[in-house]
Amino acid sequence: MNKAAFYDLSGTLLSCNLVMTHGYYARNDRSLVKSVYQLSKVLLSVPLLFALDLYSRASFNDYSFRAYRGMHRDRLIGLADDLFEVTLKPSIYPQAQALIDTTSDLGYRNILVTGALDFTIRPIALHFGFDEVICNRLEFRNHVATGRVLPPLLAEDEKARRIRGYASQEDIDLAHSCAFSDSSADVPMLSTVGHPVATNPTRRLRRIAMQKSWPILELREPSTSLPPFLRAAKVV
Amino acid sequence: MTAVEPWQDWRWNAVRGEYEAGVSEPLQGTGEISAIDAFSNRTMLLLGCTGFVGKVLLAMILDRFPEVNHLVIQVRRKKKLTGEQRFYSEVLPSPVLCQIAERLGGEDEVRRKVQIVEGDVNEPLCGISSEQIAQLQGKVDIVVNLAGVVEFDPPVNESFATNVYGVQHLIELVKLLDAKLIHVSTCYVAGKKNGRISEDEPIEGYFPKHSENGGATFSVAEELKWCEEVIQDTGQRSGADPRQVRERLREAGMNRAEHWGWTNTYTYTKSIAEQLLAGTPGLQYAIIRPAIVESSLRFPFPGWNEGFTTSAPLVLMGGDGLKGWPVRKDGPLEIIPVDLVAEGILIVIAAVLFRKNKRVYHLASADENPIMLPRLVAFLGMNSRYKHKHKEGGNRLANAWKAYVETQVITVESLHARRARIHRGLDVIHAGLTLGKTLLGETRVAPYLKSLRDTRRQIRTQEVTIDKFLPFMLYNSFIFETRNIRETARMLTSEDLKRVRWDPETIDWADYWVNIHTKGIEKWIRPMFAASRKSRP
Repeated sequence: MNKAAFYDLSGTLLSCNLVMTHGYYARNDRSLVKSVYQLSKVLLSVPLLFALDLYSRASFNDYSFRAYRGMHRDRLIGLADDLFEVTLKPSIYPQAQALIDTTSDLGYRNILVTGALDFTIRPIALHFGFDEVICNRLEFRNHVATGRVLPPLLAEDEKARRIRGYASQEDIDLAHSCAFSDSSADVPMLSTVGHPVATNPTRRLRRIAMQKSWPILELREPSTSLPPFLRAAKVV
Repeated sequence: MTAVEPWQDWRWNAVRGEYEAGVSEPLQGTGEISAIDAFSNRTMLLLGCTGFVGKVLLAMILDRFPEVNHLVIQVRRKKKLTGEQRFYSEVLPSPVLCQIAERLGGEDEVRRKVQIVEGDVNEPLCGISSEQIAQLQGKVDIVVNLAGVVEFDPPVNESFATNVYGVQHLIELVKLLDAKLIHVSTCYVAGKKNGRISEDEPIEGYFPKHSENGGATFSVAEELKWCEEVIQDTGQRSGADPRQVRERLREAGMNRAEHWGWTNTYTYTKSIAEQLLAGTPGLQYAIIRPAIVESSLRFPFPGWNEGFTTSAPLVLMGGDGLKGWPVRKDGPLEIIPVDLVAEGILIVIAAVLFRKNKRVYHLASADENPIMLPRLVAFLGMNSRYKHKHKEGGNRLANAWKAYVETQVITVESLHARRARIHRGLDVIHAGLTLGKTLLGETRVAPYLKSLRDTRRQIRTQEVTIDKFLPFMLYNSFIFETRNIRETARMLTSEDLKRVRWDPETIDWADYWVNIHTKGIEKWIRPMFAASRKSRP
């Protein structure tokens, strides 16, 4: 049986979130006027998104993807590398790469499970060296985004369901696998594996992790102590 | 790893521009042709294997069809290197072949399968020695010719030597060996035409301006005579200066091509070669016409490229920040990844060996899945944006300009106006600097004059390159019909279709252009261009 390490992305490996990626595309539209218009739309939507995030992660995602409506897919793909250099790369946590290297050295298959979109993920996956990516895709009509995500939207319970589906298809032993996430929305995802790790946890997740005695990991600090199952395996 | 495909059940439909549910089913063929059977224990003779398509084809045969037990490869001797030495020191270590050779079991395993014969298509019987021909007689089943001068406007004698006389020599060789022949030509033999180009057009006597002046007739014999006369005349008139002779011959070829309606010497000579084949009675042959051959899609790895005469100069110019592009808004660029060309050739070889082939095969993409020129112009702009935003050296103001201004589709008038403006500006600067030279002395101004000269040279090269490509992106708009290859691919067995397929309709052009093609050119072609520029005096 194989084992795998499932990673959440935003908040876990880097501090950048969905709104910032969208902000990038908005301010890099074809002309200056369009860029200003798009960017002001994004800024106006920020308070609403905050409120939605508190209410439900799924509806937050749903709403934030709507901002892509009308964008051409060529542009989303064509600017993805620049997006990575400008927005995503500077926000990577100092210890993220080391953690990914550790799990891959220990024989885990590294899998990114995130609500972000496929074209923004590509450079990240190449940068970190992920083996597999499970993520959202936008819906397009004639190469233009409709503002919806292809169902089912990857968030909360759906992440856990997809991980189980992936494990059964690829012959992965979930009891010996591990998962890393920062948010309480990912508790279902963390609960599917034998070694869940609360990584840079939010206050809510920290409380849950303490109750369930899950290890807590801080990637934001320059040096960090790994949870026991990773250390023990390394000694062997 | 160049492609990161998310693990999901969605498939991109490139033609409709949307995702579709469901995993792709394995392809089903009717099984009238079996490529595996066709290749089992056969001997092939390949010519022109040192080229871009040739290497990929050779790699694909070695990798996908271990059934082929004997490959004879003709390699031209190069200075001190014999054909054999050249193959093992230049061709086999190339990035296309080295991994595949290793997987097969190293050089020894390749040597067991491959026989190198030295030769040159410019010589009678392709320069293969009579002992070797005697040894090959009756053994070779099929000859595949990929040799050719692919430069657009070479001196006409060079183009004729390989593309026309070379094919004459080839026909003699094939007759002597009693083999079947596959000849790789180009889609652009159609010449200056518009719209859909059929594969059924008669070959003999064809010339693009046929419909315009019905009275004229085109004959190969006449063209051969003309060529000889021109070479003689030019040699006598221009005296001893070989540079001038070359220039005259270059012009003569382009003018002759223009006269009959072809875009350049290359397509003109390639068409004559096709007519030679069609005019040979009893010859069993198929002609393969690829469109503009570009970076590989999947094999041997995504993004492999070493073709100079592709869209590479355009992509590099776009990356350097050229903003105005004179292209047709409603036209596609007829490009096709090199590995699809190799797969197409293999499918046709199988069909020819089963005697179920058509005469002409277009290998192109726009018939099923066109990529429109304005989309490509937008891609060039985004690449320039990325490169100049993260560029370290150079003028910061110029970089910022190039990073934030998008590319535009412009008209030809606007192109000329822009050029005139730039040249006027440079003239003014030049005048200023000359004045400065008299006032401030030579030493202070000399570096600026030098950089002005460099800029002028760069701009002129850019203009020449754009002009060379104008027939393919502005003046003419082609869609090459690809019915024959689709029909033939459907006749394969399902087992064959796991090894080779014809599926340009699945190409996701955005991903291909941005993540595969542009990066492939930056990685493989830019160093080649830089090296060739340095070696020039």
